[in-house]
Amino acid sequence: MKILVSLKRTADPDNANKVKVAPGGAKIVTDGLEPKVNPFDEYAVETALRLVENGKTRIAGDTVVVASFGPKEAATNIRQSLAMGADSGLLFTTDDDSLDGDLVARALAKVVEAQKPDLVILGKQAVDGDSNQVAQVLAETLGWPSATFAMSVNLSADKKTVTVGREVDGGVVKLTLTLPAVISVDLRIVGAKAVTNNVTPAAFAYNDGPRFAPLPMIIKAKTKPIAEAPLASLGVDTGLKVRYTGFELPAARKAGIKVKDVADLVERLRTDAKAL
Amino acid sequence: MATLSDELRASLREALPPDTVSYDPADLAEYGRDWTKVYAPAPSAVAFPRSTDEVARIVALCDKYGARVVPSGGRTGLAGGAVARDGELVLSLSRMRAIDPVDPVAMTVRVDAGAVTEAVHQRCAEHGLTWPVDFASKGSSHVGGNIATNAGGVKVIRYGLTRQWVLGLVVVTAKGDVLRLNGALEKNNTGLDLRQLFIGTEGTLGVITEATLKLTRLPGPSQVLLLGVSDLAAVLALFRVARRGPFVLSAYEFFTDKCIARVQRHRKLRVPFDTACSHYVLMEVEAHDRDALEAWLASLFEEGLVVDGTMSQDSSQAAALWALREGISESLSATGMPHKNDVALPIAELEAFCARFEAVFAARYPGWEIVTFGHIGDGNLHLNVMKPDAMRREDFLAQTHEADRELFELVRHHRGSISAEHGVGLLKKPWLSYSRTPEEIAMLVAVKRALDPNNTLNPGKIFDLP
Repeated sequence: MKILVSLKRTADPDNANKVKVAPGGAKIVTDGLEPKVNPFDEYAVETALRLVENGKTRIAGDTVVVASFGPKEAATNIRQSLAMGADSGLLFTTDDDSLDGDLVARALAKVVEAQKPDLVILGKQAVDGDSNQVAQVLAETLGWPSATFAMSVNLSADKKTVTVGREVDGGVVKLTLTLPAVISVDLRIVGAKAVTNNVTPAAFAYNDGPRFAPLPMIIKAKTKPIAEAPLASLGVDTGLKVRYTGFELPAARKAGIKVKDVADLVERLRTDAKAL
Repeated sequence: MATLSDELRASLREALPPDTVSYDPADLAEYGRDWTKVYAPAPSAVAFPRSTDEVARIVALCDKYGARVVPSGGRTGLAGGAVARDGELVLSLSRMRAIDPVDPVAMTVRVDAGAVTEAVHQRCAEHGLTWPVDFASKGSSHVGGNIATNAGGVKVIRYGLTRQWVLGLVVVTAKGDVLRLNGALEKNNTGLDLRQLFIGTEGTLGVITEATLKLTRLPGPSQVLLLGVSDLAAVLALFRVARRGPFVLSAYEFFTDKCIARVQRHRKLRVPFDTACSHYVLMEVEAHDRDALEAWLASLFEEGLVVDGTMSQDSSQAAALWALREGISESLSATGMPHKNDVALPIAELEAFCARFEAVFAARYPGWEIVTFGHIGDGNLHLNVMKPDAMRREDFLAQTHEADRELFELVRHHRGSISAEHGVGLLKKPWLSYSRTPEEIAMLVAVKRALDPNNTLNPGKIFDLP
């Protein structure tokens, strides 16, 4: 079993309020913000790791490969996945600004051709652009079955199919895909028992959330390989289909008012807010 | 119970804007207590002044009419220093929370005493600066209270106590005089530094109303490590090694599995690794050489110093690891009744002390839940005992009082302090003599009498006047 996970680095989503728009609205400025792994991609790494272990130790022969597109510094973020337990990394170098969802999907298709994984797992979207396209375009390009927004994944004992739970209005839809396949994951995939592989004991419960890297793995991650090559070496057309025409910040919220007492509040609700 | 005299009430009404003083029972109950749960609040009034001048008028009137004043900040204290239980007027600085513009060249900021610690941090961070006084209650505590108690916290090993980060103070004396001490001077060698008299004396000598804080640059990227070790001796052994590690050590905290169990009950947080350990160390390091740090970590495993562990990969993980440590104090109070001890030992005595205190607690509290944590890197241990659910409160307090005697004997024997950073307040007052000699206490009394002859300010805290 070989799983490919795609990873994007994004400006610290916990400090999204510090994002600025460049004068003229030409671009978003994220200077000074810590580059972090897109949280949904981190969930994808966690999903992959849960599929290739028995709750405690790795299943022999299974591998998890992490691929990323971006500047050389993105190697740091790949290294974090290796510290969580992934086996090797691939970094295809380019500027953050020279990428769009379409290009990443077509480039990933080339990586898939070379790596021949049984399963590709991605975050459902990156928290910066919120485009939510790569998994879909990739599956279409490869002609593979896909399931988006996975909240549970069950790998069959014979490792020939995965059954993916997707949250929909009023319930959960389950899709069974024949491998190889593409899955994009949603927040609930890192719940204690969301990922099962018919190897890990049914009673085993993970900690909620992506795992913290164990110290021995952090130390070991240094010796795991990260292969680095220019994006162009994949032989894809690096032209962009998505063009950003302008950015603006949301309008600032108006200040609230203080009311004297309940009677005043009711009066204001009636006259100013016209809510009553 | 004493109440404010009619003359005083009338004078306060005359001297101050109408909404300055409250006699509302809800305010009295709220502002008469701090995080210490032991004492019932019973003040007779709460004043909410807006300026140093108003504070001066209130204190002068109280002093004139014989009323007593309890200065009050964020009320996060753990020794009863801000408790008013005998008809006092509580002087809350909560309306005085202005923060002036940060001076990025002088690296100072002037604030009113009621400024919330975390708000000051946020304002300074915009300039790449910080006031390095940091602890779990920073979201509620006031700068004035931090200074009046010379607060400690989690970064003392790196930056020292609050005392070292205060340049100037504005203080209202018991007579209602306003002292402006030291301004924004870094250097001022002109005799006795009066400013330091008011730092750490818990509002017994004067009311701090404004401060000029000394700032420092925000530290560079840091890593937070959570390490599982086998016992308290291993916590100390690891500390010895960490002192010489290839990094700047900015925090060295420890806690036990019992702390984590309480945190898990209250906040649903878990230690993010699988090996169950009895003791945990949280270290924060500023490592400029990542390879050297990793090599050092590898050596810990080779030498068997740690059992398991993790290191933050980004700032969110760092915050998540800190949440385990910072949630302890709150979780103990939320899930039970802790009896808290906050002792300090010389680093060199820690090992000998720890070996003996566990025996004292085991003998005194057979089968009780002992919850230990602390800033062991600066010799500070928080030794807590939880009240058994079935035991009556009075019995619990009586038993812990008896055990304290034995504990503090041990602290004295090892030349430690009965209160490292929580202050003395009411809670540790009976034990002051275990850390201070009769000659010292006579001097403390003389200073109090000189500065506050009518015993107006926070009476009965730290020591009783003979």
